[in-house]
Amino acid sequence: MSALLQVEKLEVVYGRAITAIQGITLNANKGEIVALLGTNGAGKTTTLRAISGFLGLDDARVTEGAIHFKNENLANRPPYLITKLGIVLVPERDKVFPNLSVVENLAASVPASGADRKRLEEMTFAFFPKLAELRARTAGLLSGGERQMLALASAIVCGPELLLVDELSLGLAPVVVEDLAQRLVEIRNQLGITILLVEQNAAVALSIADRGYVLENGRVVLDGDATRLKNHPDIQEFYLGGAGERRSYRDVKQYRRSRRWYG
Amino acid sequence: MQLAINIAVLAAIYALIACGYVLIYRVSRVLNLAHGELMMLSSYLLLTTASLFSGNPLIALGVAVGLSLCVGVLVYLFLMRRMTGEMVLAAVLTTVALGVLLRGLVVLIWSAQQQNPAQALGWVNYSLPVFGGRISAAGAGLIMTTALVYVGLFLFLRFTRYGIRMRAAGQNPLLAAQRGISLHVIYALAWGLSTLTGALAGILISLDSGLDSTMVLIGLKAFPAALVGGLDSLAGALIGALIIAAAEVLMIYYVDALLSDVVPFLVLILMLIVRPWGLFGTREELDRV
Amino acid sequence: MSNREPRASGYFRSSYDQGLRLVETRTQWTSLILFLAVLGIFPFVASSFQLDLANQVFLACIGSVALMLLTGYAGQVSLGHAGLIAAGAFTAGILFKEFGAKFWVTIPAAAVIGALIGLIFGLPSLRLRGLYLAVSTLALHFVVVYLGGEYETKRGFSTGIVIDVPRIGDFVLRDRKIWYFVLFAFAAAALLISLNLLRSRTGRAWAAIRSHETIAEALGIGVPAQKLLAFVISSSMTAVAGALFGYYRGFVSVEAFSLFLSIQYVAMIIIGGMGSILGAILGAVFVTLLPYAIEYAVGLLPNARSYAGMLAAFNYAAFGIVMILFLVFEPQGLVGVWRRVQNYFLLWPFKQKPLGGGRK
Ligand SMILES: Nc1ncnc2c1ncn2[C@@H]1O[C@H](COP(=O)(O)OP(=O)(O)OP(=O)(O)O)[C@@H](O)[C@H]1O
Ligand SMILES: [Mg+2]
Repeated sequence: MSALLQVEKLEVVYGRAITAIQGITLNANKGEIVALLGTNGAGKTTTLRAISGFLGLDDARVTEGAIHFKNENLANRPPYLITKLGIVLVPERDKVFPNLSVVENLAASVPASGADRKRLEEMTFAFFPKLAELRARTAGLLSGGERQMLALASAIVCGPELLLVDELSLGLAPVVVEDLAQRLVEIRNQLGITILLVEQNAAVALSIADRGYVLENGRVVLDGDATRLKNHPDIQEFYLGGAGERRSYRDVKQYRRSRRWYG
Repeated sequence: MQLAINIAVLAAIYALIACGYVLIYRVSRVLNLAHGELMMLSSYLLLTTASLFSGNPLIALGVAVGLSLCVGVLVYLFLMRRMTGEMVLAAVLTTVALGVLLRGLVVLIWSAQQQNPAQALGWVNYSLPVFGGRISAAGAGLIMTTALVYVGLFLFLRFTRYGIRMRAAGQNPLLAAQRGISLHVIYALAWGLSTLTGALAGILISLDSGLDSTMVLIGLKAFPAALVGGLDSLAGALIGALIIAAAEVLMIYYVDALLSDVVPFLVLILMLIVRPWGLFGTREELDRV
Repeated sequence: MSNREPRASGYFRSSYDQGLRLVETRTQWTSLILFLAVLGIFPFVASSFQLDLANQVFLACIGSVALMLLTGYAGQVSLGHAGLIAAGAFTAGILFKEFGAKFWVTIPAAAVIGALIGLIFGLPSLRLRGLYLAVSTLALHFVVVYLGGEYETKRGFSTGIVIDVPRIGDFVLRDRKIWYFVLFAFAAAALLISLNLLRSRTGRAWAAIRSHETIAEALGIGVPAQKLLAFVISSSMTAVAGALFGYYRGFVSVEAFSLFLSIQYVAMIIIGGMGSILGAILGAVFVTLLPYAIEYAVGLLPNARSYAGMLAAFNYAAFGIVMILFLVFEPQGLVGVWRRVQNYFLLWPFKQKPLGGGRK
C-alpha cells in the first residue's frame, strides 16, 4: 500500500540561488502522526510550503522531485485546490483572521469536497471547549494559546485528511503545549487525520508522534520510529539535552548504514 | 428644509457610489478609479434594455442591473485578475486606463448626446412634497435604495458565509487561501457587487437628471466620501457621504455654485492632512499601500 | 601580458568617473550628433503641420521628463500633473492680462509659482505614500483648476484668456519654425537639468528613497527635504511647460487641463518605461502622436465621414487599450521593447537571453 503523502527527492530553490531543500524523501501513512524536527533554518517550513503549494508567493520553486498525495501529483496546483483536496496548513504565524470573531473564523473555512461542515464544527467545539466559551470574541484579542486552538479548529473545519502543523509550540507555555499535543492525538484518533508536525520541542513532538524525520541544511539526516529517535544519542544530545561541544551529527555515514538496516 | 432634503439625496448618491469603492478596496486593496465609468456604462445599458423590453420597465431595470453585475465580474476575470500580485499602483493605473477605454466605448456605442432613460422607460419623475420641501421620485428612490443596499451589505458581510469569506480574504489573503477560499471567486464577487451597487446609483441618477458623461465626475466626487470615512469601512462611507454632501450643498447655497466640483476634494485634502486613514479606517492600512 | 586575459566584447566601465559621464562612448557621441543634426534640419524640410506636431512633442517632453523625475526616479506618484501645467499657463495668462508682463518675466514667474505649488503638492508626501499620495495630488489638481476657473469667471473671460504673441526685443515668436527652436531649447534644457540632477547626489538620494524610504533615512538622507525637492523641481519644470503651452496656443482656458491630461502624462511615463529619461521622451512622442495616428487610421475606414464626430471617442478607447496593453504585457514600456530589440541585434545570431538587464 502506498503512503497517503509521498515526498520524493524534493528540491526547493528560493529565488534563483538559495537551495533551501536538497533532496528530501519522506512519507506519511494514513492516521499517522509524523514529526519533522530540525534546527532553525533547516527547511521545515519550506517543506510544508512546498506540500501546501505556497512556494510561489516567496518566489520559490520545486526544481526536482515530486509530491504525491493519494497518488496524485500536486505540482502546479493552486493552493486553495490543494486545501480542497484535503491538505490543510496551520501556519507559523498570522494563523487567524484578527478582525473576525471566533465563529466567523470557523465559518471562513471552506470544507473539502464531501466533508460534513456541521459535524466538523461540533467536533471542534468538543475538542476545544474553551473556544465555545469565546465564540463571539474577536480573534485578534485572543491569547497565543487560544489563537493556536482557533487555528487548529479552523483547519479542522476544512475537513483535512492531512494536517500540516508548523511550530505547534511557538511562543506557548509548556503546559499549554502538552495540552495541545494531547488534543492532536485525540483529533487523530477520532477523525483519522494524518498529521505532519513541525516542532522545535522534540520531547513533545516525539512523545505523540509515531515516526519522525530530522532535517539539517535541507537534508534528512535521521529518521525512524519515534521511540528509536528518542533514544538516539544525537537526538538526546541536540534536542533533549545539552549539545556539548559538537556542532554536527556524529556520523552521517552511520546513519546511512543504519537506514539500510531499518529499511 | 429643502436644503436638508437636498443634502439627504446627495448623501444617498455619494453613499451608494462610495460603497462600491469600499467593497473592492476592502478585499483587494485596489482603488477602482473606473467606478464612475462603470456606473455610466450601467446606465447606458439600461437605455438599451429599455428599448429591448419596451413596455416592461421593471424587467428592463432588472436586466440592466444583472448585466452590470456580469460586467464587473468580467472586468475582474479578464483584466484585474492579471494585475493581482502586481504593485497596487499598477493595478490602480489599470483601472484608470479601463475608465478611459469605457468613456470612449460608451460614446462610440451610444453617442455623446444627453439621454433620458426615464423617458425610455415611460416613467415620469414626479416631484413629491415632503416635510415642507419637495423631493423627486427618483431622489426618494435613491434614499430608499441606499438604505436597502447598506442593510443588505451589512447582513451579507456579517452573516453569510461568502460575506465572512470576503472579509477574511481582505484581512489576510494568504491565510484565506490556506483555508480553502478561492481568492479569484472572492475578488470577482467583490467586483461584481461593487459594479452592481454602482449600477443602481448610476441608473437612479440618470432617471433623476438624465445621462451623459458628467456621470463620471459624480463617480469621482463620491470617492472622497469613501476616503473620508475610511477606505475599508462601510459605516465610514455612509458618514463620509453625509459629510461631503452637507459640505457641498451648504457651500453651493451660501458661497458659490462653482465650488460644487471642488468641495469634496477640499474636504478630502483636509482629511488627508488631519487623519489620512479616515474616520473609521484601519490605521495600519497606510503603511501597506 | 594583456593578451592572455580573457576578453569580452562590449563596453565596460573601468572607473567610477565613467559612470558619471553624460556621454560615454564614441558610438553614443556619433548617434547624439546625428540625432541633433536631424533635429536641426527637420524644420527646414517639414510641413507646417509636422512642425506643429514636433512642437507639441517638445512641450510634452518637458512635462513627461518632469513627471519621470518625480515618479520614475524619486518614487512619488502624482495624478495631478495637469494641475501644475494649468498653474503655469494661468500664471502666464494672468500676469499678461493684469500687468501686461513680458515673456521673459512670465516664464520665470511660472517657474517660481510652479515651485511653490510643488511645495504644496509635496507636503502630503511627508505623511502619505503610494495610493494616498496619488489621491491627494488628484485632489489638488481639482483645486488648482477650480481657482483657474474662478479667475476666468470673475474677470469675465468665461471662454478663456487670450495671450498675445510674445516678443523678445524685436523678435516675434509667431512662426512655428521659430517656436520649434525655442521649444527645442527648453526641452533640451529640461533634459540636461534632469540628467545632471540624476547623476548628482540628489539623484542617488531619490533612488534610495524610491527603493526604501526607511533605509534611505537610516543612510543619512534627509528624506523629507529630498522629497520636497523632487516635487519642487518637477513642478517648476512642469509649470514652465504650462506657460509655454499657453503662449504657443495663444489661449488659456481650464477646459484644456482636465483630469484626462494628467492621465495622459502618467501614460507617457508608463508607456515610455518607468525609471528612464529615454522612456519619458519615447512616451511623450508616442502619446502626443497617437491621436493623430488614430485620426489617420479612422480616415482610412470606409465611409470615414460618418465617424468624424466620434474621433474623440476613438481616441479615448484606443488610448485606454494601449495603456492597458502596456500595463499588462509590457510593464517596462517602450524602453523595455527597445532594449530587447537592441539585445537581439547585439547577440544575433545567438538567441540566448541576456542575464543582465541592459545598459543605463
Ligand atoms: N522567503 C525566503 N526567501 C529566501 N530564502 C528563504 C525564504 N524563506 C526561507 N528561506 C531560507 O530557506 C532556508 C530554510 O528556511 P525554513 O523557513 O524552511 O526553515 P525552518 O526549518 O522552518 O526554520 P525555523 O525553525 O526557524 O522556522 C533558510 O536558510 C532560510 O533562510
Ligand atoms: Mg519555520
